[in-house]
Amino acid sequence: MRRNVNPENRTVNLNNTKKIAFKTLGCRLNQYETDALVTDFDKAGYQLVGVDESPDVVVVNTCTVTNQSDQKSRTTISQAARANTNAVVVVTGCMANNFKEKLESQDNITFVVENNRKSSILSLVDAHFSGEILHPDQLPQDVFRYEPVQKSLHTRSAVKIQDGCDNFCTFCIIPMVRGRAVSRPVAEVLESVRKTIENGFKEIVITGVNIGRYEAGEAHFEDLLAQILEVPGDFRVRISSLEPDGFGERFVDLFRHPKLMPHLHLCLQSGSDRTLLRMRRMYDVQQFRKTIKLFRSVYPDFNFTTDIIVGFPGETEDEFQETMDAVKEFNFSHVHTFKYSVRRGTRAERLENHVSEKIKTERSAQIRDLSEKNKKQYFASFLGKTEEVLIEKVTQGIANGYGEHYIPVRFKASGAQKNTVRPVILTEIRGAGENMYLFGELND
Amino acid sequence: MISMIKHDIKIDESFYKIEEVRQLTDETFSLKLPKARFAFKAGQHISLGIHGDYQSREYSIYSGADDENLEVLVKEVENGYFTPKLRKLKAGDLVEIHGPFGKFGMEPHLAETGKFVFIASGTGIAPFRSMVRTYPEIDYTLIHGVRYSKEAYDRNEYAEDRYVLCSSRDQKGTYQGRLTGYLKNCTFAPETHFYLCGNSDMIFDALEILKDKGFERDQIHCEVYF
Ligand SMILES: Cc1cc2nc3c(=O)[nH]c(=O)nc-3n(C[C@H](O)[C@H](O)[C@H](O)COP(=O)(O)OP(=O)(O)OC[C@H]3O[C@@H](n4cnc5c(N)ncnc54)[C@H](O)[C@@H]3O)c2cc1C
Ligand code: SF4
Repeated sequence: MRRNVNPENRTVNLNNTKKIAFKTLGCRLNQYETDALVTDFDKAGYQLVGVDESPDVVVVNTCTVTNQSDQKSRTTISQAARANTNAVVVVTGCMANNFKEKLESQDNITFVVENNRKSSILSLVDAHFSGEILHPDQLPQDVFRYEPVQKSLHTRSAVKIQDGCDNFCTFCIIPMVRGRAVSRPVAEVLESVRKTIENGFKEIVITGVNIGRYEAGEAHFEDLLAQILEVPGDFRVRISSLEPDGFGERFVDLFRHPKLMPHLHLCLQSGSDRTLLRMRRMYDVQQFRKTIKLFRSVYPDFNFTTDIIVGFPGETEDEFQETMDAVKEFNFSHVHTFKYSVRRGTRAERLENHVSEKIKTERSAQIRDLSEKNKKQYFASFLGKTEEVLIEKVTQGIANGYGEHYIPVRFKASGAQKNTVRPVILTEIRGAGENMYLFGELND
Repeated sequence: MISMIKHDIKIDESFYKIEEVRQLTDETFSLKLPKARFAFKAGQHISLGIHGDYQSREYSIYSGADDENLEVLVKEVENGYFTPKLRKLKAGDLVEIHGPFGKFGMEPHLAETGKFVFIASGTGIAPFRSMVRTYPEIDYTLIHGVRYSKEAYDRNEYAEDRYVLCSSRDQKGTYQGRLTGYLKNCTFAPETHFYLCGNSDMIFDALEILKDKGFERDQIHCEVYF
């Protein structure tokens, strides 16, 4: 018999002995949404376990931004399902939007839940265990329904302020899988920030799909940010990735606030104006340059990181060279390099002159080499300086964390505890590539 | 028992019945639909789908914000996926519309006071017709680049002294040649707002010309179709 279910009803079931495991792929927004789900399930009495600890429920939060992420998501789903044949397998995230019918037809998946219903997975799973038949399509649609994160898989917690994007960059599948841009009301965001801090987090990351486009009533992104910084408490604020969309002096000024950390991940994607136009990006290299210069004129050691797509359809050798020049000039301390991969249904799929895989691989290697040099140079500029490091974990007496500039730092813990902020004098660059970090000593 | 869970989206809201297909040239036509069920700003676009087809495409809104009909301008692309299917649609057929999307456009108060130059290639004229219909008092010059002068879609709707037709393959335009050729010889007031719409090669070239003339990128707005 089909029964009505009230998804608002989130009572704690003290007799709950069910175990739940999560697997998350992709961006920080996905990570945040998993953390919020962990909080929901924890409050409802579920026990959080690993996928190899015989969970009763496995939630796979997928990503579909590149072909590689599709592949990874598919592998994760089948591994999780194979290892837990009796478990309820819930697949959610962007892949659930992009390949809904295909996933629904797979026997090893119990439920496929689209992004806009993701926050109600607890209602779905609860209903399942109490014998009610509830289809994911009956769950309410609300991209901001998430509880503030309480129990996280991390020390830093995200606060979601916005979802969706309607820029329609020609390579990007996100407008199709995350829907149109919507912003969370200011009061709700501030409440979420307050609760997250009350829950013990020392650092919050402002997250969304295209957060620069935040617009709720009269409030734009800068207005919201200013209000977040005024929330009382001892915490730091970071901004997750941003589109380089016309930021002015007010934004730069906000970084004078001691809570706002001096790092931005500004997505350049290409250093060639022609390529940027084919990508339907909304800025040119000169505007990007202006933003970088403006920041560095006020904060000379400001950390910029970026995303670059190599081998976009029609990218000539000269255009690629312009990207190399831009990466060098802007001195990004880290470049997240993507080899362009076709996403079905995007405009770039139908562009002419697709670039061969071999050239993409070569170009991507060149960017990576350059990025590593940049990183080393940037890290070297911190030797002898002191950074306030938020400790994320302590293993075998070594504390790991990030300084204000979002540089990874390790040091002898000497009793320093996880989730505390400590001054560390930086003495040495260690490791290489993705694993490069600064080593230092406590400098209390 | 009646389900208590509300569905937020009313599916039928996004379907529109075609009222008329206006054939403008052999390849280009407009789809006239009922009045938009959403508010939009001139310059914005919608995504348009055909019932039963998984793909959709974006189209600038061709009608004015207060017009009685929502209208889009479509050019059939040879070997294209979507436009040959759109071409087959007739009055009475259904299309699915989502939107409006995008930031291409101006605030109403600016439309009343600013000075504008609109630069379009081919069907890139669509958002400008919407702007001109929405803000009848707007102070604009429209430079339209086409191959043949018959592609001067709905030309009679623009004041003659505001519409410059650049036709590259016949002699019937105001200017014979590419619009970038015309643009190179123009002078514009320093406070002009530029709006560029169409293919990315034209937009790149026009941007270079305008930047060479000393205009800031911030006063140039672009909408890339392909
Ligand atoms: C924001 C936005 C607004 C748009 N508004 C309009 C509009 O008002 N009217 C319109 O006709 N198109 C418009 N387009 C383009 C439209 O979305 C489709 O790309 C176009 O109709 C071709 O679709 P197709 O499936 O037939 O071609 P596809 O199979 O997708 O082939 C695409 C190829 O067709 C060519 N092409 C695409 N659009 C055009 C065009 N307009 N004229 C000539 N060649 C083209 C390009 O070479 C492109 O690579 C817009 C695009 C965007 C991003
Ligand atoms: S801005 Fe572009 S790349 Fe970023 S989410 Fe929107 S469409 Fe995708």
